[in-house]
Amino acid sequence: MATAIDAVRASARDTGFRDTLQRWLPKLVLAPTALCALVFIYGYIGWTALLSMTNSKMLPSYTFVGFDQYVRLFENERWLVAAKNLVLFGGLFIGVCLLVGVLLAVLLDQKIRSEGALRAIYLYPMALSFIVTGTAWKWILDPGLGLQKLGQELGWSSFRFDWITDPDRAVYTLVIAAVWQSSGFVMALFLAGLRGVDPSIVKAAQLDGASLPRIYWRIVLPCLRPVVFSAVMILSHIAIKSFDLVMALTGGGPGYSSDLPATFMYAHTFTRGQMGLGSASAMLMLGAVLAIIVPYLYSELRGKR
Amino acid sequence: MRANNTLRTTVLGWAVALLMFFPIGWMALTAFKTELQAVSTPPVLFFKPTLENFAAVFERGDYLKFTLNSVLVSFGSTFLALALAVPAAYRMVFHPTPRTGSTLLWMLSTKMMPPVGVLVPIYLLFRDAGLLDTVTGLVIVYALMNLPIVVWMLYTYFKDVPREILEAGRVDGASAWQEVQILLLPLAWPGIASTGLLNVILAWNEAFWSLNLTTSKAAPLTAFIAAFSSPEGLFWAKLSAASLLAIAPILVVGWFSQKQLVRGLTFGAVK
Repeated sequence: MATAIDAVRASARDTGFRDTLQRWLPKLVLAPTALCALVFIYGYIGWTALLSMTNSKMLPSYTFVGFDQYVRLFENERWLVAAKNLVLFGGLFIGVCLLVGVLLAVLLDQKIRSEGALRAIYLYPMALSFIVTGTAWKWILDPGLGLQKLGQELGWSSFRFDWITDPDRAVYTLVIAAVWQSSGFVMALFLAGLRGVDPSIVKAAQLDGASLPRIYWRIVLPCLRPVVFSAVMILSHIAIKSFDLVMALTGGGPGYSSDLPATFMYAHTFTRGQMGLGSASAMLMLGAVLAIIVPYLYSELRGKR
Repeated sequence: MRANNTLRTTVLGWAVALLMFFPIGWMALTAFKTELQAVSTPPVLFFKPTLENFAAVFERGDYLKFTLNSVLVSFGSTFLALALAVPAAYRMVFHPTPRTGSTLLWMLSTKMMPPVGVLVPIYLLFRDAGLLDTVTGLVIVYALMNLPIVVWMLYTYFKDVPREILEAGRVDGASAWQEVQILLLPLAWPGIASTGLLNVILAWNEAFWSLNLTTSKAAPLTAFIAAFSSPEGLFWAKLSAASLLAIAPILVVGWFSQKQLVRGLTFGAVK
């Protein structure tokens, strides 16, 4: 027996290059992907950080100006509007999405008929491009074409729904379209969570005479805390990344009243030739994302151990 | 009582479905109306469908070019991403190290970064390399953009492949390449196909990079719709027809792939 193992060992030692490659190949194949992620994300973020400290205009220049661009950013009225809009949009979007998502999930959890078809329909918007859905919503929200006109035609002559042309309210139209797009997805998350709740606990509560809303509120929803957590994560990253929807629906307007940081960055970097300022705004957005995902990853990793 | 309740929830469910589907449905309806019917009041529900809007969209000639760009970019980036991700996922599932878990999370975290953070450097690099407004450039960017999700999805699918089969192959003297080619790929084929499908959909819908990195030559359908919607904003029937054409493949595919879509978008949390 021992000699057999020795023989195997000896042959393993003799094998030379081909087998060394055999042994290392599975380990090396990860490298291209890891390298891509490393360069693509961290390398270029570093470059953006560098540009944000220069006075680059139309073209990149490497005259170092320290944190001047960041100071200018916070003196920029339009940036302040965009940042405020992000807080408003993000908060409402996440809140309403969670609410609608939970309600839809609870609805589908009622042993409803044709659940599969309904789930697919609720999810449809998420599979479509924001550019196209934004265009459809632009039409529906246009006071001269969509809902307002329909309401007035139906005899409610004082009906007004012109948020999209109202600088104070245009940002809410973004919330409407974004909630419509993403709530089905939140529903899917919650539905999976609901199915994971131990039915015997629910049964026990039913036997004790708890009403259905009470069962959901006191027993089922608390079990879903991890789902809420990941939903908030994913939704907040959608909110910070929001770009196509704004471009398609309001174009940041009227004026710049519905600008979000991503469209601000785009406008300043590419159409206004303020690359340094644009880079500074990108860095701040990155900072916002990091502030959200670092605690998340931390808790994920800690949970695993 | 029980039956009554079921009926009520079913009705409610379908009412919500109608509401959810309304914007898409209305757009689809408008695409088959004349321009006059599209803006007429009260809105026409019953009308003789016309194909003139589609004819008008096709007549613009460049429409087919945009479609071709979308197809090339979606599939090209999917193949590139899979080519990079299959080996990476294979390594992480079948040759794990203590650090594999954190590597995976780290990769996923890069997907969370907003793309604006890397937009300017990529734009500059592409300008210098002559990749601006080229299909090749978009293929590369889309592939890199979706790489973390593709690796993650493949990882969850490969996890379902019984390790014993691959180990048996190794004992029988299969090389790493044979192991992947003969054993893993056929076994994990459905998972790889689902991952590819998700990537195609994501790339098809992608607008941030296409709006920023293309002008006309390599612009895919999303850029076309965005450009179409401003000058021809008053021609709603034509715009609807163009939009409907742009989402038609997704409407069809979406029905079959919703499971994969959810799995991918939730980073594998929902299977």
